[in-house]
Amino acid sequence: MAGVGSAVRRLYLSVYNWAVFFGWAQVLYYAVTTLLESGHEAVYAAVERPLQFAQTAAFLEILHGLVGLVRSPVSATLPQIGSRLFLTWGILWSFPETHSHILVTSLVISWSITEIIRYSFFGMKEAFGFAPSWLLWLRYSTFMVLYPTGISSEVGLIYIALPYMKASEKYCLRMPNKWNFSFDFFYASILSLAIYVPGSPHMFTYMLAQRKKALAKAKAA
Amino acid sequence: MKVSVVSRSGREVVRGGVELKDSAKVADLQDAIYAKTKKYYPARQRLTLPIQPGKSGKPVVLSAKASLSEYCEKGSGSLTVVFKDLGPQVFYSTLFFFEYLGPLLIYPMFYYLPVYKYFGYEGERVMHPVQTYAMYYWCFHYFKRIMETFFVHRFSHATSPVSNVFRNCAYYWTFGAYIAYYCNHPLYTPVSELQMKIGFGFGILCQIANFYCHILLRNLRSPSGNGGYQIPRGFLFNIVTCANYTTEIYQWLGFNIATQTVAGYIFLVVAASIMTNWALGKHRRLKKLFDGKEGRPKYPRRWVILPPFL
Repeated sequence: MAGVGSAVRRLYLSVYNWAVFFGWAQVLYYAVTTLLESGHEAVYAAVERPLQFAQTAAFLEILHGLVGLVRSPVSATLPQIGSRLFLTWGILWSFPETHSHILVTSLVISWSITEIIRYSFFGMKEAFGFAPSWLLWLRYSTFMVLYPTGISSEVGLIYIALPYMKASEKYCLRMPNKWNFSFDFFYASILSLAIYVPGSPHMFTYMLAQRKKALAKAKAA
Repeated sequence: MKVSVVSRSGREVVRGGVELKDSAKVADLQDAIYAKTKKYYPARQRLTLPIQPGKSGKPVVLSAKASLSEYCEKGSGSLTVVFKDLGPQVFYSTLFFFEYLGPLLIYPMFYYLPVYKYFGYEGERVMHPVQTYAMYYWCFHYFKRIMETFFVHRFSHATSPVSNVFRNCAYYWTFGAYIAYYCNHPLYTPVSELQMKIGFGFGILCQIANFYCHILLRNLRSPSGNGGYQIPRGFLFNIVTCANYTTEIYQWLGFNIATQTVAGYIFLVVAASIMTNWALGKHRRLKKLFDGKEGRPKYPRRWVILPPFL
């Protein structure tokens, strides 16, 4: 019985990882081809659907961690996926004024390269039981370039969207109401920018520690 | 007796070790370490026995009141202990005082001072009676906590790391301000008078019950701080392992029924989940300690913290 459950788990995770890999591969392909053909202004329109699919599918990773399907700590996956979902839906989808900005291009390229490597790494491990050493090295090295570019793009796009948030009052709940609650997306976004200040170094040093651990283990093997 | 004091990496913390009488206690060793280092006062020290090579498991922590000879190999006149610096420490009473002082001062600021001017609300603010009673309730609650800190509670650990002061104060003060903002808001919508009376009445009842629970817990510990875990008995403890947490949660529920703010309910959920974790840990420890074997009493069947759910 344990064998059957394990096989189902591996099959499910294989399908999940390769499906999301395909989504991110689409994002990168459309981003690069559109950039070359039409310029950065048109990139968002080209990648919107696959980006939303791939990034939202990543939400399942949090569930995988919670139910114990994978060993990733939720404390690491939650902030990263949370911030990306916020960018994908809360900023890009909600504020079309941001679509033509060049930071969209750097954002989706940084994200998609990172995720293509990561999901193919996971996909290989679940499907074949191992991943080649060059993929392991990429998995734990490319973040050193792509995290700074990705995070800078995220912060930049939030900043660019702020005036449109304030003007539109989107996602704002005002008092008076029976539950005495209010919410202001503008101030929540400013707060999220503040969280990036301690959050980014934390994620980067976490990845450095992971790199040290993973490559040391590979060397020992 | 010769005692070597080393760090976890093997470095010698006290050069040449410490020479003590054979009858010395761990507390004497701690005092000697402080005398030599001038920095690591006893509360900062965590002394353990070295882990034997190839052996796993948690290291043995030395108890301050125990004799050093208890930890020696039979007949050996020397001992090695592993030292760890816990960092600067504060008394628990100090920690609790500043935790609770914040909410006690911050909440009335939102009630009395024209702080909403800075949030874009000009003009006169009309206070509803429920807002006044909420302020009294809130201040009574945190005043009670401060008084209990100094006159009721007995602490098993003498001190807490300084870093906990910042973390705990951030938690209490932020939530205090968050709830105060909404409860005293110019556009606040009160609940019906009946609901207010039910909420505050229930809440006050639970605060008084909570106080009595703290008295019962205090009496479990002797003034000297001796004695490990005891089975709490009496009042709600006959039903719930952590009746003090139960009454704490319910008194916030009462406050929220009367004031009805999302911020208050968020605080309730966060506080309840924190206390539930503590309660589960305590329940587990008590059941393990009092298993009814070898002459030990058996821990009675009880809810953990929130009957009939948990």
